[in-house]
Amino acid sequence: MLDRKLLREMTRMKGQILAVALVMACGLAMMIMTRSLILTLDQTRDDYYREHSMAELFAQCKRAPQSLLPRIAEIDGVSQVESRVVMDVTLDLPGMDVPATGHMISLPIDGSTPKLNGIVLRQGRMPRPDERREIVLGEAFADAHQLKPGDELTAVINGRRETLRICGIGLSPEFVFEARAGETLPDHKRFSVIWMNYRALAMAYNMDGAFNDLCLDLAPSANAETVMQELDLILAPYGATGSYQRKEQASAQRLDDELRVLESLSFIYPIVFLSVAAFMVNAVLSRMVRLQREQIAQLKAQGYSSREVGWHYLKLVMLIGLIGAILGAFGGYVLGKQLVNLYTLFFRFPELEFTYHFSAMFTALFISMAAASLGVISVVKQAVNLPPAEAMRPEPPASFQPSWLERAGLARWMSPSFRMAVRNIERRPWQSLFTSGGLALATGLMVMPGGMSDSVDHLLTFQWNRAQRHDVLVFLNEPSSARALHDLRHFPGVTLAEPVRGVRSRLKFAQFSRKINITGIPVDGDLNRLLDAQEQAIVMPKEGILMSAKLAEVLGARVGDEVEMEVLESHRPKFFVPIRGLVQDFAGVAAYMEIRALRRLMREGDTVNGAYLSVDLQHWDAFMAKIKETPRIAVTMVKRDQLQAFRDTTAKSIGTLRTLYFFLAIIVAFGVVYNSARISLSERSRELATLRVVGFTLPEVRRVLMSELFLLVLMAIPAGLLFGRGLALFIMSSFSTETVRLPILIRSSTYSIAAIVVLAASAISFALVSRMLRQLDLLGALKARD
Amino acid sequence: MPIASSIPVHLPASGVVFQAEKLRKVYRTGEQELVALHGVDLTLHSGELVCLLGASGSGKSTLLNILGGLDVATSGTLLYQNWPLHGANDETLTLFRRNCVGFVFQFYNLIPSLTARENIALITSIAHEPMKPEEALDLVGLSHRMDHFPSQLSGGEQQRVAIARAIAKRPKVLLCDEPTGALDVHTGITVLEAVEQINRELGTLAVIITHNAIMAEMADRVLTLSDGRIIQETHNAERKPASSLRW
Repeated sequence: MLDRKLLREMTRMKGQILAVALVMACGLAMMIMTRSLILTLDQTRDDYYREHSMAELFAQCKRAPQSLLPRIAEIDGVSQVESRVVMDVTLDLPGMDVPATGHMISLPIDGSTPKLNGIVLRQGRMPRPDERREIVLGEAFADAHQLKPGDELTAVINGRRETLRICGIGLSPEFVFEARAGETLPDHKRFSVIWMNYRALAMAYNMDGAFNDLCLDLAPSANAETVMQELDLILAPYGATGSYQRKEQASAQRLDDELRVLESLSFIYPIVFLSVAAFMVNAVLSRMVRLQREQIAQLKAQGYSSREVGWHYLKLVMLIGLIGAILGAFGGYVLGKQLVNLYTLFFRFPELEFTYHFSAMFTALFISMAAASLGVISVVKQAVNLPPAEAMRPEPPASFQPSWLERAGLARWMSPSFRMAVRNIERRPWQSLFTSGGLALATGLMVMPGGMSDSVDHLLTFQWNRAQRHDVLVFLNEPSSARALHDLRHFPGVTLAEPVRGVRSRLKFAQFSRKINITGIPVDGDLNRLLDAQEQAIVMPKEGILMSAKLAEVLGARVGDEVEMEVLESHRPKFFVPIRGLVQDFAGVAAYMEIRALRRLMREGDTVNGAYLSVDLQHWDAFMAKIKETPRIAVTMVKRDQLQAFRDTTAKSIGTLRTLYFFLAIIVAFGVVYNSARISLSERSRELATLRVVGFTLPEVRRVLMSELFLLVLMAIPAGLLFGRGLALFIMSSFSTETVRLPILIRSSTYSIAAIVVLAASAISFALVSRMLRQLDLLGALKARD
Repeated sequence: MPIASSIPVHLPASGVVFQAEKLRKVYRTGEQELVALHGVDLTLHSGELVCLLGASGSGKSTLLNILGGLDVATSGTLLYQNWPLHGANDETLTLFRRNCVGFVFQFYNLIPSLTARENIALITSIAHEPMKPEEALDLVGLSHRMDHFPSQLSGGEQQRVAIARAIAKRPKVLLCDEPTGALDVHTGITVLEAVEQINRELGTLAVIITHNAIMAEMADRVLTLSDGRIIQETHNAERKPASSLRW
């Protein structure tokens, strides 16, 4: 019978129950969605790595003989070795002005399929042994250009134009994130992995019987560090740049970073939403219990135990939790299924099937019940502990006192309804705080996504216009003399060319180290400006090193510290160089030296690896044609295209998340205001009815009801904006990885929009509630006792 | 305020305040019809003190609510100072209550977050030519408690604040629904004395609902209701002072 009472009460309170359950559902949906995405990516990745034997160690060198392999295979702990020739070539596609980069990887010498970093053939077949022109093309690139087996492709391989025939389309666990090394965003139109027979590739680069790339698998008990030390020793004479583990491999690292970001999102949001929901449940139930004092007394007088009565109310709470969990479970499924598609923009798996995290759903159910119950346990306890005789007497009139505003002497300027509002707030500080707190959270949630797009906007203008002022960045396939720069300067349309000298090195400070290209740029360089935290250009010091602030953080070093720089090429010199400044950049990490200083250290002449170019757009076609026919240009990066790639991927996914967060925030704002207006209305119905009876018009009564809510909203907004800033900072700093970072910048328009949306949501939900004022039972409210 | 100004605020002394003819009130709840008033005819004058007696459900509260503009009759006519209240809309009734009627209820209905003085100021801020809150409180003998909150006042004091609130607008009509219902005898008499004083000094028409026949002795006229009809009308030759009543 008590259950029937419960159900009828729930029907009566459906608006409020729905509001609470929705807020709860938002948190749970976010949690289930993120946990499911983590599970999906994690599981898909692990399966992929296992089934297609992703290597555990990687190493590159300049040129080492194949005869070295047995020695490497004998290193204690190595279970499998595979050598390859890997070269970047220029791809020339009809209809594309900018050449694309082909990342050529040789297949095993014996004509078998790779045992490590296996190829998943999506279409066609592997190249026939001894077939010189057949290739397997990366699927992302093939999709982007609508290429299929049988089609042909022109590549400039070591200076010779070759026509390659696509025999298969494939994927590999080595390139889940398919991008040039050091690139933070995939550009599937301009970068492709290409597999080719060993002999064809090795011959072209004079590498027959040699390799420049190794992948290894380790025995289960092997110590990776010792294997790496031995491997580095063996490879050292061959221009090795130092081995590294899977976690440092570009694609694997990018995927790990993504999972880390998801991890932090998977708990921040649910916590925020569930706290708001717990406050709301508390408010709803406190009011209900207060109104049902006499009923509780009656039940107890008739012989129901305190436990039974308490359980009755807890059941209501659990039902709210259950509704929230069901909505959340469903919402999480729908959102997850939608969002998993975003990941296909960045990551390539043979199959990315959304996996629902059922245990997350049960955790969510448990958490929602716990959050809701926690919110009300004290209320229920208080109600059931009241002796029946006492509970049947009406509650004494609520006691009030002049508010501190009045005590502070402001009474004169306060209208009676304003006084009522202030005193009500002060009499129930916790309830007011919860309402205000809930609204502040909603405001904060609104700031977060706006802040994210502000950051992205800023990144686009900052990184692309103020820092990088070049049009094109080219890299040569090997270090060359000043002559190469001179040639580049005379390409059609080039108005300015600045040399780049990149030296593969390892930077060490205390126990931390990172492998990185030290980039040498001229002291008076203008095309790649390094900006500090204040976005001011840093003057390149004549000696010493500049590095990304993030790199210094990773190394634990500060400006003025001397870091050890171990060059990983040529005669492998080691130096100590002081850090002269920190660069604020947002993609990857980098270190810079003045180009002449770097060359001095390397004891070399005017060596260059590439150049920043400024190109007159009128000569763009001629310029690109020249690039395409210049064999020693390995990589061409066009700033405009990178920008487009950024907009197509990151900006798009942030846009989607932004919309999602925006709607969640609206639901919270709406739910909180609706709920607290309903509670106010019900608690003060007698007071409001009295006002109507003594001649207050509806708008006047509405104003009385509104002034309290208005004050709460007014208190909530500044707090919420602050909270939103904190939340945005926290989330953006959790986005801050070595591959991608977001500048922390929130525009005032974002704050204004957050405030306006919360105000509007409040106004609408208040309007909904104030319609109920019309139905206020004037006679009933006056007859009933308090 | 065109509507407010059309309601006569000032009345001539001992004029007719209410003129009701064949007032009928039917409540419909689902398929049930409940007739609360069966064609009541009634005339009430200013300066009169009238008691409505009757058992629960006899229709006295319904009659009082219709007189006070809290409810409208289903049929019949009701004139307030020759001005039709039957069929008036909510807006008109609100202004009628605001300017012409003072209410006192069994459960005081003070705003707990406002002090005694502020509870009255709330009404005087919207009324037409009201008295000062302090003056109203003085009339009910509570000027020394004006800055107290309802929770700091006794039941009798709260009810007297409610009366002060009702009369502060200088209403022509004071309607009291069991004003002593929640009070002990002594406190009840203090409250009745206040009503009596207002009626006498301001010439206000006072209508009091009560179950208590003894209270009827302080009235000019006693109307007994049963089953929605006035079944008896008694004129007291002499009004007993409230202070002399005992029950």
